[in-house]
Amino acid sequence: MSERRQLALMLAPYLVGLTALVLVPALVTFGLALTEYDLVRSPVFVGLDNFRELVRDDVFRRAVSNSLVFAAIAVPLRLGAALGLALLLHRRIPGVGGYRSATVLPTVVPDIAYGLLWLWLLNPLYGPINTLLGWGGAANFTWIGYPLPQWLTHSNDARAAIVILSLFTIGEGFVVLLVTRQGLPAELYDLAALEDVTAWSLFRRITLPLMAPVLLLLLARDTIFSLQATLVPALVVTEGGPPLYSTTYVPLFVYRNAFEYLRYGYASAATLLMLILTAAIVLVQLALLRRYRLGNG
Amino acid sequence: MPRVRAGDRRFGGFRQPVAIAFGLLFLLPLWFLVAGSFREPGTVPPRTPELFPRPVSTESYGDAFALVDLGRYLLNSLAVAALTVPPAVLVASWAGFALLLLAGRARLVLLAVSFAALMIPVTALLVPRFTLYRWLGLTDTWVPLVAPALLGLSPFYVLLFYWSFRRLPPELFEAARLEDARPFVMWRRLAMPLVRPVTVAVALLAFIASWGNFLDPLVYLFDPDLYTLPLGLRSLAVLDRTNYPVLLAAAVAATAPVVLAFAVAQRFFLHEDRGAGWLGR
Amino acid sequence: MSVSVVSVEKRFGDVVALAGVTLEAREGELLVVVGPSGCGKSTLLRCVAGLETVDAGTVRIRGRDVTGIRPAARNVSMVFQSYALFPHLTVGANVGFGLVVRETPKEEVRRRVAAAVELIGIGHLVDRRPYQLSGGERQRVALARALVREPDAYLLDEPLSNLDAGTRVEMRTELRRLHREVGATMIHVTHDQVEALTLADRVAVMHAGAVRQVGTPDEVYGRPADRTVAAFLGTPRMNFLTVGDARPFCAVPDGAEAGVRPEHVRLDGEVPARVDLVEVAGGDAYVHLSGGLVARVAADVRPVEGEDVGLGIRREDVHLFDLETGRRVEP
Repeated sequence: MSERRQLALMLAPYLVGLTALVLVPALVTFGLALTEYDLVRSPVFVGLDNFRELVRDDVFRRAVSNSLVFAAIAVPLRLGAALGLALLLHRRIPGVGGYRSATVLPTVVPDIAYGLLWLWLLNPLYGPINTLLGWGGAANFTWIGYPLPQWLTHSNDARAAIVILSLFTIGEGFVVLLVTRQGLPAELYDLAALEDVTAWSLFRRITLPLMAPVLLLLLARDTIFSLQATLVPALVVTEGGPPLYSTTYVPLFVYRNAFEYLRYGYASAATLLMLILTAAIVLVQLALLRRYRLGNG
Repeated sequence: MPRVRAGDRRFGGFRQPVAIAFGLLFLLPLWFLVAGSFREPGTVPPRTPELFPRPVSTESYGDAFALVDLGRYLLNSLAVAALTVPPAVLVASWAGFALLLLAGRARLVLLAVSFAALMIPVTALLVPRFTLYRWLGLTDTWVPLVAPALLGLSPFYVLLFYWSFRRLPPELFEAARLEDARPFVMWRRLAMPLVRPVTVAVALLAFIASWGNFLDPLVYLFDPDLYTLPLGLRSLAVLDRTNYPVLLAAAVAATAPVVLAFAVAQRFFLHEDRGAGWLGR
Repeated sequence: MSVSVVSVEKRFGDVVALAGVTLEAREGELLVVVGPSGCGKSTLLRCVAGLETVDAGTVRIRGRDVTGIRPAARNVSMVFQSYALFPHLTVGANVGFGLVVRETPKEEVRRRVAAAVELIGIGHLVDRRPYQLSGGERQRVALARALVREPDAYLLDEPLSNLDAGTRVEMRTELRRLHREVGATMIHVTHDQVEALTLADRVAVMHAGAVRQVGTPDEVYGRPADRTVAAFLGTPRMNFLTVGDARPFCAVPDGAEAGVRPEHVRLDGEVPARVDLVEVAGGDAYVHLSGGLVARVAADVRPVEGEDVGLGIRREDVHLFDLETGRRVEP
């Protein structure tokens, strides 16, 4: 078989997969967004009605604001944690393999198991977190007199819970930053040693600028991730509640409208709006932080 | 040779204790996961913090496997993983290698498309994919779970292979070309043997993704006989949301295989020290 | 004396990198430490800089014992083989880095950077980024950066090894000129013996973690202290003859071997030999003779392959080395 034929064969599965599983569904989303469709009766073309309804839908507006706030809080915290741990663990100290593994382990755990675990940890009465916080204090109060967070029954506590959950699953960013840091030329750090650079200065002038391109990439990826991947925890742990939709994020909104209310068209419209919003945010980030991208990449 | 930089003797001292602290912090939830699973099911949990369950009991595990058909779900998950992971690794490595051999413009286009596809989160594609499978009559089968293997499971793995192949010396492939080696032969005999750590990493990541996949089974599977482990966990949670020991026991059963796979595979890529800087290129 | 190490030892695990090295670079001299890969020369330099800690011995700079002092307090500058320029800073910012970090006032930074950059001849590149520069230009930036701090000593770790051959020769001359203008103590490490012989005020030849000889280029080339030094310096390599091989030319005492440099093997003598191979390298010709000797003659008087010639070696061109210790033996 000729070289070109073989090359085509090698690429074929991937190309088919990309088309069938990504490109076509993306196009279908566009189409579905303009219909009212419950998968039983044939789709009804409704033009831009879905979008009009979404804009007026209180739950959707709540969902968007929840998602945005979550991303605004969780992304910097996650990236900061991943960076800090990568810088802490990039040098070989005794047991470093174990520490690195520990950092990555929560990311490895299946989403649903992870969610169930936190269901237990966050139980306001019996969960280990509150029993630990409440130790030494009066009933329902911590040792220093603050009331115990009622994780799953108070709206803000529930939101905080979802953020805390996301702080442990930084494995992917951690590994990427770890490898990046290790790839930085050692000579620059030798030079820093000769130039009397303090630890903070070292970080600010050398490490951070050199890692900036990768950090930027991770920022974009984590923003996208955070805006879209709160589905499982919200579904399993807080169930979109506590009442008043405080942890209904956009993915959960889409899921419910599609699979529980059988409004696939409406859900697609919501997805589309969210994708546009996500793209806009990422583009703004890239534009604002343009000067940190190296001239030659 | 490991070298101690003279500069970091200053704060070298507290690197270790901080590392220990964070290591423990990250392990803590998992500790509670395992500890909680060994408590007796259905008892009232204690009001005080408890690191070790008293009394220790494996009854929860028994209950977990009895209340829902967890054993069967475990086997199902294994089957799905077996059907998904090897093809995914194959496709990803083929595509990555083909990208290397592709001419300039075609390669750029494909790279750009892959990158864009990477940025689209899976949840955004859930609804349209579902409608497509419905039209094809493929819901309530394992096909929607396995089909992404065609993608190499994710453009990320394809890009990872491509990037790794690119770092191999091009002379290798030029020499092979002169010997009239075709792409498949080059891939099999030259490229793959040289990127073993990457292959292991991709296999591991693919396994983690397939094993932990909750959304696709949730959406596509209705016949309980086809359920995978994550769905089994969900069923247990729906049955009794507050029977924590049983839920945790099932969670441990679901987590143990991935942790095991991770423990075995991580030796290939988590123990590097520093690279060789610019001289090592 | 400006920079000195006394009995310095350094081990990496089981590997002995430096086995008790004592060496001194005099005030204002350009000392070149030369030796094959793995001889410990880079390690020695890093110990002087403080980037490695010594296991035993002392390091002194301008009379001060700096053995336990951190690198930044030793007042030395280092130039790296890979230049170590910050890719995200301009040339000007790179050169001024050390001053900025030490919180030098901006005016002074600007002044000193301008002076250094003028001296090196890269004034026109001040606003460029490293990726826009050639190898030679990058190396000049690294030099300017080292200059600007006016340190007690300059340490150069194979700074020319990454450059292509033409640029390397050019930069060699640059370094020589720079040293003359600045007049500071410089320790230059290289594996290239030609570089060492052309650049240095004095040469220190290292092998396997120890210094074998220190002296002017003439001294180490003309009177090598041992066999390793003799074999390392000179292109082509020195000819070594056993007692038997040397008999036609001169008497060699038992227990010794003779060394003759290719340029001292004359083709107008009496000992018969045949020409096996002639290599022409520009103005020189390397003549490989039957019996294993190699001679170096001017290219325009070279013999033809297969020609019969008569070899001659003057007694005073023969170096004698003890067979067991390798050390030089006086006749």
